[in-house]
Amino acid sequence: MVQAPSNKMRLRMFIVMLAITVGIGSVLVYQLFNIQFVNGEEYQRSAVQQQMRSLKLTPSRGEIQDTNGKILAVSATVWNVIVDPVVVSKKEVNGQTEADIIAENLAPILEMDAAVIKEKCLTPNTRSVFIKKRIEKPQQEAVNQFLTDHPSIRSVYMLEDTKRYYPYGSLASTVIGFVNDENMGGAGIESQYNKVLSGTPGMVVTAKTAKETDMDTRYQQRYEPENGHSLILTLDETIQHFLEKHIENAVNEHEVRNRAVGIVMDVNTGAILGMTTKPDFDPNNFKEISDPVAKERLSLVAIASGGTNTEAYREALSNEQNLQWRNKAVSDPYEPGSVFKVITASAALDSGAASLNNYYDCYGSITVKDREIGCWKLYGHGNQSFAQTLQHSCNPAFVQIGFSIGGGTFYDYFDTFGLTQGTGIDLPGEAGSIYHPRERLETSLVSLASCSFGQTFKVTPIQMITAISTAVNGGNLVTPYLVKQVIDENGSVVEAHEPVIRRQVISEQTSQTIAELMETVVSAPDGSGRNAYLAGYRVGGKTGTSQKLDQALTEDGREEHVLSFVGVAPMDDPQIAVLVILDSPKLDNVLSSTIAVPVGKYILEDILSYIGVEPKYTAEEMKNLDLTTPNTIGLELQKAKDTLEELGLGVKVIGQGEAVLKQVPTPSTQIPRDATILLYTDEDITPNLVEVPDVFGLGTSVVNQMLTNAGLNLSFTGGLGRENSVASRQTPEAGTMVEAGTVVTVELTALDTAGVY
Amino acid sequence: MLFSASYAYAYYYYDNSFYFISRQLFFAVAGVAAMFIASFVDYHIFQRFALPLMGVSIFLLIVVLFLPAQSGVRRWIDIFDVFSIQPSEIAKFAVVVLFSHMISTNYKRIKSFKYGILPFGVVLAIICGLLVLEPHLSGTILILLLGAIVMLVGGVDLKWFVLAGAAALVAVGIAILIPGVIPYAQSRLTYWLDPFSDPLGSGFQTIQSLYAIGSGGLLGVGIGNSRQKYLYLPEVQNDFVFAIVGEELGFVGATIIILMFALLIWRGFVIAGRAKDRFGMLLAVGLTSQVGLQAFLNIAVVTNTIPNTGISLPFFSYGGTALMMLLGEMGVVLSVSRQSAVIKE
Repeated sequence: MVQAPSNKMRLRMFIVMLAITVGIGSVLVYQLFNIQFVNGEEYQRSAVQQQMRSLKLTPSRGEIQDTNGKILAVSATVWNVIVDPVVVSKKEVNGQTEADIIAENLAPILEMDAAVIKEKCLTPNTRSVFIKKRIEKPQQEAVNQFLTDHPSIRSVYMLEDTKRYYPYGSLASTVIGFVNDENMGGAGIESQYNKVLSGTPGMVVTAKTAKETDMDTRYQQRYEPENGHSLILTLDETIQHFLEKHIENAVNEHEVRNRAVGIVMDVNTGAILGMTTKPDFDPNNFKEISDPVAKERLSLVAIASGGTNTEAYREALSNEQNLQWRNKAVSDPYEPGSVFKVITASAALDSGAASLNNYYDCYGSITVKDREIGCWKLYGHGNQSFAQTLQHSCNPAFVQIGFSIGGGTFYDYFDTFGLTQGTGIDLPGEAGSIYHPRERLETSLVSLASCSFGQTFKVTPIQMITAISTAVNGGNLVTPYLVKQVIDENGSVVEAHEPVIRRQVISEQTSQTIAELMETVVSAPDGSGRNAYLAGYRVGGKTGTSQKLDQALTEDGREEHVLSFVGVAPMDDPQIAVLVILDSPKLDNVLSSTIAVPVGKYILEDILSYIGVEPKYTAEEMKNLDLTTPNTIGLELQKAKDTLEELGLGVKVIGQGEAVLKQVPTPSTQIPRDATILLYTDEDITPNLVEVPDVFGLGTSVVNQMLTNAGLNLSFTGGLGRENSVASRQTPEAGTMVEAGTVVTVELTALDTAGVY
Repeated sequence: MLFSASYAYAYYYYDNSFYFISRQLFFAVAGVAAMFIASFVDYHIFQRFALPLMGVSIFLLIVVLFLPAQSGVRRWIDIFDVFSIQPSEIAKFAVVVLFSHMISTNYKRIKSFKYGILPFGVVLAIICGLLVLEPHLSGTILILLLGAIVMLVGGVDLKWFVLAGAAALVAVGIAILIPGVIPYAQSRLTYWLDPFSDPLGSGFQTIQSLYAIGSGGLLGVGIGNSRQKYLYLPEVQNDFVFAIVGEELGFVGATIIILMFALLIWRGFVIAGRAKDRFGMLLAVGLTSQVGLQAFLNIAVVTNTIPNTGISLPFFSYGGTALMMLLGEMGVVLSVSRQSAVIKE
């Protein structure tokens, strides 16, 4: 009974078919469209997010080198040793738990207390505890060996990290800065050039499965890290070393309370050859307070607040840290005092307000409105030439010079010398200056008067030395800089710094005149800077002593002073400027007000011979020039005598022998031309020891007499004219036992420069 | 397609990327053979075995309830650990065969309640009752739909469908509004409406599926380049293989697959329309509808058009016995086609 399907069945079937194919089918296609186009991007992004894992590849940080390629900062790989306390097995094997084994073995490697390590291994509620941070290669290898020897220990592992090394320790630390715990530059060059130094991190992007394993490597993309560039500084390690040595000595000797600054700058290019603030810190250990005085202050806080774990202590520590990291040379404005007179003089000569032929009277003081401004010389300098006003550093004269310039013009020079803006040096934290606005200088004579000799405004040390450089380099305002070149890891130069001349401030003629005037400040018999006199070198300079008018008196009732000196050499072709600033030294004797000058002189002396400036002596200087003792040992007595006397030296023979067995001073010693050489001719020589007398503060003739009486040779340094000079320093120190005939070097300081402002 | 989708999963869990595909190939070959044989067998043989087949089917559905559960449900019977069968697959076939047989023999009285509704209702009630016990909601719905289609085409009075439709709506309403009637129905509904409300739990599979399809765009990432198959998408070789189709072949590829299924349905229905008798027609309609509905419901699940339920994609999903049965059933449809062709000549 075969019945074909009826038409009704076919119709119904057709409807069902349509319903399924067209009905459901189109809904599905519509849905697909929604998912793949309308929301597709969002789904895709989410999918990629869950599928991708990225691993950061750390680039290595570039080096910092001095101008000669000496490495001042370098990064190296170190390791952090970490324990996962959750994985540390609590089971005892032979009476030892895993923590015991770890502690016992790692303690000697990591130079830690075993108990401390064990405690870390048992820290509850954490999965990672640093046992020790930043260990170096040998330690890392030892830890690795331990882990290889104990395969059952899976709780201890190491992760790579980088550490910054500063091979020269604290050298230039306030300039270079440091790298903090996050491997970022925390101060100085490290901070300023952090981006350049740190490079670009790389990345490995891996597609991962839901089980966290990697998919095929074809899904892997690797972006190599770009290593940081290295910096070549304008700093010269040797110059920096000289600078720091002398500044540090001054800080210690004069108990400088608010740190001291030293800057050495190439006056023509603005390149910083040396820059320091003392006391500073060791960037290898940047959190540690280096200054013993600061440490002492901290320990007092610790005692007062009841330990090192108090809020007060932490705050004090943080303050001390910020203080020691602070680069005073760029961050702290100060009142420049008389050093600024160079700028006033430049403005006066350049504007035509004054000429070398002008004369100024000084009666010991000058009255401006209701204000009396005194001179350091109580009874005044009388009538002085323009040059003498600078040599004398006479305030009343400079008030008159300032008035002749006029407030508006004075301001214009102040501005064009770059003292109203930062210098633009490539260091972080450069402070601006604090100064009188133009209107005030135009209207207030008192303000103009005080500004003329460098008081009642503040500039930073870097602004001051830049302005001085401008005054002597032909009149060009340069931008001081520290980074000479940026080089990549292959040593190719990526970027080279060309000296930037911002503008011509004074004419070349004026500049040359100023350089000559500055030289006379040092070379004139009554020059206020004559303690900076260096035989053979043409040094110019200007002293400065400013009262810190905005500060309260010290606890013992004294005024705080900033003592400074700027030196320039060689004056026939100025090349370098040195600025020394001692902020709040202890001033307890008559010579104190000139203490910054010899510091500048020592620095210049070392630097000039280092950079190869040939000394040229005048006939007068030649006469006083030291000799090098010839070697007479082994010579027949008479011959030795002849040799020495021919050089004009005195001879004293000790013993009855025929030939010289020993001589004092020993051969190749620097001795003055009128020294006496002791010749020993006997076998059994008993050294004739004498005590070095204390000659501090004594005049030259007395010193001469005392040392001759003691049987010692004498060599004076410093102080062109010996009249009015007294001994300010001696080597060997008083009380030292030395052999008779030894040369005692006595430094002279001109007494009448004491009190110079 | 299956090979690509299962590659990572098989590698991870069976240490052999070819685990699924090699098994599936075997069953595909066997299935094509079965299809070929079935196309030559006179389909009227099923008329004779309609009742016994239903008997076996019900027996297996009862047996499966006493076997240990897999993933919380009792749907499979393992035979010697070599392959497993789903009694519900057999039940689908049995329902289509039996209904076709019953309608073709009682066509004249089909509009009456006694012959047109009652016997069908009883069979469906038994089968669906057993399926719900497994539980197997999607299977239940599919069998109900298949039965309804065969009955509809077979000429059962339309008012019953209106009534059944209304009843279904009420039942769904109850299931949704009164929690606990069908325990997992409500939560599935929630995650259907907003799969991102529980991204790591119940919504996970749906979300991963959407991520996969969404990554496909217009042309897809290319065959073999799916990333979502790397263990993100659960059941990627089974119910969610279409998601990988969407990812690797994109909108164009996925639409072509949908069109191919539509074509298959159309061809099946054309065969049914040309069948020489009513049994053949209904058989072809039922079997074609089974493949078509299953395919479209699966795609609807994968695209989150309907709530997530366990329906595999015919010819694409992994499952040896299912593939064999599907191909066998297509053989039966071809058999119907073959006989109609004979008549034409």
